[in-house]
Parts: sequence; C-alpha cells; structure tokens
Amino acid sequence: MLGDVTISAIGRGTLFAWRELGGITILAGQVLRALLPPRLDGPELFRNLYRMGNRSLPIIALTAFFVGGIMVIQAGVLVKQLNAAGLVGWGAGYAIFREVGPMLIALMFSGRVGSNNTAELATMTVTEQLDGLRALAIDPIPYLVVPRVIAMTVSLLCLVVLGNLIALYGGAFFAMFLLDLEFSTLYYSLVDNIGWLDFVHGAIKAAVFGSAIAMTSCYFGISVRGGAVGVGKAVNAAVVAAAISIVTLDFLLTAVLP
Amino acid sequence: MSVHTRIEGLGARAIAASHAGARLFVIGAKSLRGVFDRDYPKGEVARQMYVVGNKSLLFIAITMGFLGMVMVIQSGHQLNRVTGDLSQLGPQFLKLFIQEFAPTITALMLSTRVGAGIAAEVGSMKVTEQIDALRLSGITPTSYLIAPRLLACLSMGSILTVIAIVIAFTAGGISAWSVFGLNPTAFFDSSMVRTYDIVIGSVKALSYSLAIPIISGFCGLEARGGSEGVGTATTSAVIGSSFAVLLLDFMISGIGLMVFGGGV
Amino acid sequence: MSQVTDTRTAISVQDVSVAFDGTEVLRSLSLSLEQGGRLGILGPAAGGKSVLLKLLVGLVAPDAGRVHILGTDISRGKEKTLMRVRRDVGMLFQNYALFDFMTVGENVAFPLARLGETEDDEIADRVSARLKAVGLAGSEAKMPSELSGGMKKRVGIARATIARPALLLYDEPTAGLDPVTTSKMYELIAADQADTGCTVVAVSSDVGALMNFSTELALVHEGSVRYRGPSHAISKSEDALVRQFVSGDDAGPL
Repeated sequence: MLGDVTISAIGRGTLFAWRELGGITILAGQVLRALLPPRLDGPELFRNLYRMGNRSLPIIALTAFFVGGIMVIQAGVLVKQLNAAGLVGWGAGYAIFREVGPMLIALMFSGRVGSNNTAELATMTVTEQLDGLRALAIDPIPYLVVPRVIAMTVSLLCLVVLGNLIALYGGAFFAMFLLDLEFSTLYYSLVDNIGWLDFVHGAIKAAVFGSAIAMTSCYFGISVRGGAVGVGKAVNAAVVAAAISIVTLDFLLTAVLP
Repeated sequence: MSVHTRIEGLGARAIAASHAGARLFVIGAKSLRGVFDRDYPKGEVARQMYVVGNKSLLFIAITMGFLGMVMVIQSGHQLNRVTGDLSQLGPQFLKLFIQEFAPTITALMLSTRVGAGIAAEVGSMKVTEQIDALRLSGITPTSYLIAPRLLACLSMGSILTVIAIVIAFTAGGISAWSVFGLNPTAFFDSSMVRTYDIVIGSVKALSYSLAIPIISGFCGLEARGGSEGVGTATTSAVIGSSFAVLLLDFMISGIGLMVFGGGV
Repeated sequence: MSQVTDTRTAISVQDVSVAFDGTEVLRSLSLSLEQGGRLGILGPAAGGKSVLLKLLVGLVAPDAGRVHILGTDISRGKEKTLMRVRRDVGMLFQNYALFDFMTVGENVAFPLARLGETEDDEIADRVSARLKAVGLAGSEAKMPSELSGGMKKRVGIARATIARPALLLYDEPTAGLDPVTTSKMYELIAADQADTGCTVVAVSSDVGALMNFSTELALVHEGSVRYRGPSHAISKSEDALVRQFVSGDDAGPL
C-alpha cells in the first residue's frame, strides 16, 4: 500500500520533471530561432544587463571574497598535514576557477536574479500582460525572453570572471592573515600551476549556468498558472530547477571540457 | 548627484541596515525563547519536519550525488597529474565532505527550498493581516510560527546533512571506480576522519539550521504591500540565508583553524 | 466583561502622532468615545483611518501622545499590558485575515480557545451559534479558501465577536459588497451590539451606509480629525471639506 503510493508519487514526479524539461527545451529552441538572424533590442538588452549584472554585484563580490577565505582555510588544513605551503595558491586557485567559483556564484545569482525574473514574468503572465502583447501582434519570446536570456548569460559570465578575481584576492588576504603565508609564495604557486585552460573551463561553465538559469527562470515565469499563489510556486520551482540544472550541467561539463 | 547627497544616501542606508540588523537580532532571540515557551499548535513541529524533509530530500540527493561525482573527478585528475597516487582520494574526500561540503551545500539547498517557503508563508500571512490577527489573540508570532520551524530545521537539517554525506560519498566512490578504476575498498576508508571534523561539521549544520529559519522568518515578518511584497520577502530570504550560510562557514572554519589548528 | 452598564470612556486618544519611514500618518490626533457608543470613522483613502484602528489595539505604537483603551494606558506598548487589553477587544480586519491553514470552525473558535477559560464542548456550541448568527450555519469544516469574499467577512465577524469583547473594531466591514449585503452586515453588527452592549468602532469609505449605522461620526483627513459629532449633523458641518466629502461633490477643497 505504502509502496504503491511511493511508487506512484515517484512516477508522477518523473512525468512532471520530463514535462518541464520538454517545456524548457522547446523554449530554448524558440529563443535560438528568434536569434537567427540576430535582431536585438539594444536598449532593452542594456536595461536588463544593468539590472541583472550591476545590481547583483555587491552580494556576488561579498560572496566571492568569503568563498576565497573558505577555500584557503580548507587548503591550509591540507597544507598543515602535508607541510606544503607551496600548494595553497594552486589548490585554492584550481578549486575556485574550475568548481567553487562558477557554482556558488551561479547559485547566488539564481537566488537573486533568477527568482526576481521568474516573479516578474509570472506576474506579467497572471495579469494577462503577455496576452496583451500577443493581441498587439508582439511575440513575447523575442520581445521579453530573448533579451533576458542574453543579459543573464552575459552578466553571469562577467560576474564569475570578476568574482573569481575577488575570491583570489580574498583568498590571498586570508592566507596572509590566517596562515602567515607570503604573497609571493601564493602568487607563484598559482601562476606556476594554473593555466588558461582552468580559467576557460570556469568561464564556459559560467556562461552555460547563466543560460540555464535564464531558461528555467523564464520558463517557469511564462508557464505560470493560478494567480498570486501560482507566482510563489513558480518562483520556488524555478530556483529549484536552476539549482538542479547547475549541478547536473557542472557534472556534464566537467566530464566534457578539458 | 553631488558627492554630499551620495554620502548622505550611503549614511541613510547604513542606518537602515543597522536598524534591520537589530530587528533581526530581536526576532532571533524571541524565536529561540519561543522554543522554550512551546506556544505553538500541537503536532506543528512534526508537520514542519515533514515539510522540510519532504521538500528537500530528493533535491539534496540529486545535487549531492552529482557534486560527489564532480569533486572526485576534478581532484582525481589533479592528483593523477601531480603524484599519481589516488589512495588518499576517498579518505580526504570523506573528511572534506563531513566538515565542509555536506553541511554547507545542504544548507544552501535548504535556503533555496525551505527558506523561500518560510518567507512566502509568513510573508503572505503578514500582508493579509493574519499576523495582526494572531497578535490580537495574544500570540507572539515568533513563538507561534518561527519556533516550530526552527525546531524542524534543526532536526531535519542534521538528518539531511548525514544523508548528504552518505549519498555524495557513495556517488564519489562509484565514479572513482568507474573513471579511475580505483578499488572501492581503497576509497571507502574513514581513517582520516577525526573527532574535530565531526564536531566542526555538526557545529556548522546546527548553526546553518538556526540561521535559515530565523532569517527567512524575519524576511516574512518584514513583508509589506501585497503579493509583490511577498515576492520580495522570498528573494531576500533566499539571498540572506545563503549569504549567512557562507559567512558562518567562513567564521566557523576560521575559528577552527585559529583555535584548534584545523584539527591537525 | 460583556454587559457594560456604566458610561466610562472606552477609547481616549490624546495628541497622538504616528509616522512610517518619516511620513506622518497621524498628526497629534485626539478622539474619544464613551462605552457602549457606536462610532463611524470615515474619510478619504490613505487618510490614516486603518492606522487609527490598529493604534487602538496596539498593533501600531504611537510616536507621541497617549492612548487609553477601556481605562488602560497602552501607549507604552508593553506586551503584558497589550495582551491584557486585547482580551477585551475584537477586530474584523480589512482583508478578513482568516487563518488560511485552519478550517472556518477553528478560525471562529480561535480567540475563545486561546483564552483557555472555556470547555471544548461549549466552544463548539458557541462556534455553531455564532456561525448561525452570521448566516453560515454548518460551515465549520470548510476552509477559508472555499468561501466568497462576503462569506469570509461574515466568518471574520463571527471570529471577532465570539469572545464577547467589550470593544469591537471593524475595518471596512462592507468594502466590495453589494448594497443589500451591506445593510445585512450592519444589521448583524447592530444586533450583536444590542445583545452584548459592547462599544463599536467601524471604519468605512461607504459614506451612506456608515452614516445610517453610526450614532456618532469622525472624519479623518491627512492624519487629523476634521469632524467629530453626531451623524445627523455632519452634512451641516461648517468645514467645507467635510461637507464636500459627505455630499460627494466635484467642486470643493478636496
């Protein structure tokens, strides 16, 4: 009895997940088609870039600073064990560039920008503003979704590049302060062991995470149903879907990228 | 805008932020007192525990599974490049997950899932005057609403962290075996785990589970002005609790390193 | 706490100012009401009516001035004092504020159950009696989300009145209701008052219905009282603003 209930719940959940995944894929196709040939609403794109990139800068910068510190503390424990101070810059840098930087900044970005975006689009949908656009012969996908997808992809890429730098500086600061390491030790440990490949690896991840957050947040925004309660549910679903996309894509990209 | 008005604006924001910080502190203290007052409906803690666990179990299982695999692959490649010795991969992985990744990533997921839920629920009660109606019946909202959620987060947060460790370790072991051909007996080795790691991991999990419901409840109680206010409360709850988790992580790890030398 | 026979002051507000984020909502406002009175508060939107009502139960604290409710000073905002005074006050909120996680029956029973002085059986009896009085007999097991706006309001009234409080506050009891339901709502409030002898304050923007219902009126505009007196005299007020608001003319100071 209980087994049946659980199995049917899992079955329903799986069906539901596939339907949402299909919906997101279709939306991604529509966005790509709208970009061929590229025709961009410059002011709208710029407005979105400003809103999404600039406004989340303070929280991302703070996050990155402390993430640098956390990484150095973890690396420092290993260093004490193995007595190898020359590895701190390398360990922290490698982890920040490839994994922790893109992933944590993307999670924060999803919480701040992605959820706001879902709430905004969902409110527009339940107040029939999207139907209003369609009545004026304006397709909401190129008009509303495309600029947001581009803006979120570009902003997250820039924020991760910037955030990685801040995390490294934060790491260096705390390494000198907490571990009594010299800046030069950290610097050479980093530049001798970390290459462009590590940087590019993280940057590609950032861009992919950015578009994944954009697609999920726009999808749940425009497919919302059922008034104000629906808006809340949509925001919740979007943030969860974004987090799951981030970790699964992270896994795939780690396997595929050099 | 002149420099003068800019500075004034910054000053005003700093004052507003410190006021909000003071209110957050008061709500935190009242919620903790509410835990002892026990002035919440019967069975509410169990109901909230179900909500927290039910909402997050699958979510945390998926994220921790993938994270375990990614971490093993990334660090395995690096170890192969430098030493070629993967024998320490499993033990170090377990150590790092117990005292760092499992509690922190679990808490970040809880901030997203549970924090947003608490803020949305309490926030919509605030804007529809249900909080006022509670107070009119002589109820302190922190005791009635936040305290049971706090207890639920404390208990389920710890349980979910343990589940996260098990799932990530298992997924990591499987990928170490399939990607690097590492023998599972070499990976599933807990010899590196010290009491220190378990204590730090538990302290982190407990502090995160305190911070998330208090910050999210605070955001909900501060909500103003219709469904838009609820939306703002929800986003600030997610961002506020995620940031608090990272800050606490940094502070607890830092204290551990400074005071106990990182348990070495 | 039910039958009020003497004529002490139920409400006394002296020189009260309230500001939110630097904006003054009430400006040294004074107002008083005898026990057993029936006061209607009207005025243009966002003039501070709802804030005034919340001030009377300490849900809003005054920045300056004194508030006495049923003989107790609540202006200091001390939780213990507030909790004691609120036992004797019932309130219908603007958006009903029904607890959406409770059934209708649990909502109505809530204030009584919280006092902890009544047996469960008696609470159940009084809940069904109250629901019957507001025309919703037998809907104890329903959830608030299943009800229409007017029904929610009536449940709100049942909840506000069940503990037979000495002071009842109604915030927009008829907003969004048709004229017939509006007059039924006021009949309900009046019948309840006749039964318990409580003091009633109602805030509304529906001028006509409120003037019919109340024996006394106060007009609040931009945070202060512009008229205070018997209902029948308001249309002959010397204040041009008050006359314009009551008559609904286009031309005038408003």
